[in-house]
Amino acid sequence: MTTDLLLESLRRTISDDLAPVRPLPPVWMRVLYAVAVATVGLAIVVAAFKLTLRPDMEQLPMWLSWGCTALQLVVGVVLVGMALRDAVPGNGLPAGAVTLAVITGVVMQFVVGIATWMHSPGVQLIKGQGLKAGMTCSTHDVALALPALAITLWLVFRALPLRPSVAGLLGGTGAAVTADAVNHILCPVSDLRHVLVWHTGVIFGLMIVGWVVGKLWERKQFG
Amino acid sequence: MGVDRIAEEERLIALMIGYQKGNMDDFEGLYAALKQPLLRYLWTFVRNATVAEDLLQDTFLQIHRARQTYTPPRPVRPWVYAITRHVALMHLRSGRRRKEMLADDQLPEVPVPPEMEKLADRATLHQMLSELPRRSQEVLMLHHMLGMSFQEVGQILGIASGTAKVRSHRALNALRERLAENEGDES
Repeated sequence: MTTDLLLESLRRTISDDLAPVRPLPPVWMRVLYAVAVATVGLAIVVAAFKLTLRPDMEQLPMWLSWGCTALQLVVGVVLVGMALRDAVPGNGLPAGAVTLAVITGVVMQFVVGIATWMHSPGVQLIKGQGLKAGMTCSTHDVALALPALAITLWLVFRALPLRPSVAGLLGGTGAAVTADAVNHILCPVSDLRHVLVWHTGVIFGLMIVGWVVGKLWERKQFG
Repeated sequence: MGVDRIAEEERLIALMIGYQKGNMDDFEGLYAALKQPLLRYLWTFVRNATVAEDLLQDTFLQIHRARQTYTPPRPVRPWVYAITRHVALMHLRSGRRRKEMLADDQLPEVPVPPEMEKLADRATLHQMLSELPRRSQEVLMLHHMLGMSFQEVGQILGIASGTAKVRSHRALNALRERLAENEGDES
């Protein structure tokens, strides 16, 4: 191989920094890593806030309590997996798949909220206490989502996301859906206004956070 | 995928693994194997041989920085072309684009789809190709000229392979129509 084929400046830059690198693990392995870290984080948050199961758990059918939580967790993990996949060049997801996944995450929270409200009124909201209850639940939601969001975004940006805002949006949605899955069996309030304003609001908020972090990373990385 | 394509892909994978282990010869092998097709692809974006050469260097620097994100034994080309495409798009977005008129000798040897070769001379085909929207040119370049499968094209562009197929079909039809119009004008 002669140097005229390869520009001298490029050759010098490459050879000066040619340390062996370990290839990124496959997506499924990185998803497992994210799930492990997020699970530990969730357990810490639940213990720190002394969160307990909602009082009307026994009134809810199994499919609506643990079943919906499990389903939402699966959707959340799939969204995280999609974010991690999209972060590797040449693995870009079609726009339709991204849209469908994000909409599925949001709609599922919506449907679970409505179904829960129809089955059990839960703890009634006292007039004038809606804001306080909402702020408390939002804080729990955000705290539950943070470990998943942090590990997902860290893994996304350790790769080379060519569409960082899309990967961030998927990661943000995944973390939010995962947190909502857990909070579904913890939050005692079924009132639809509470669920749609505060819990759905947090999902949208975290989606925006993921998207904005992606945009900022893109600006920093690529100018 | 033909036997040659499989052998070529396996060679690229072996070079990429060696490069990840820190072997400079493997990097040079990769550069030699990919330089020309990447220049052709970059030309689709910038239409300027000098700028394409500059972007090729940027591309290989980006490949170097991101070399750990390639996971063997996945195909190398979709990974490399996705990075190349991103470098080109960032260049276009940054406003560094130079609006220079191209001298004829600046045009790289860009092949044309084999099914089109009989329909017009090379210069006309180049002209017609360059008038197509970039999206169409990209698919034609990747599938018809660089021999990628629709699945690979989809992975590079971040679209479904079916969408890549439809885009390619439409682009070929558009090219045929333009050639027919051109023939009509001349007669």
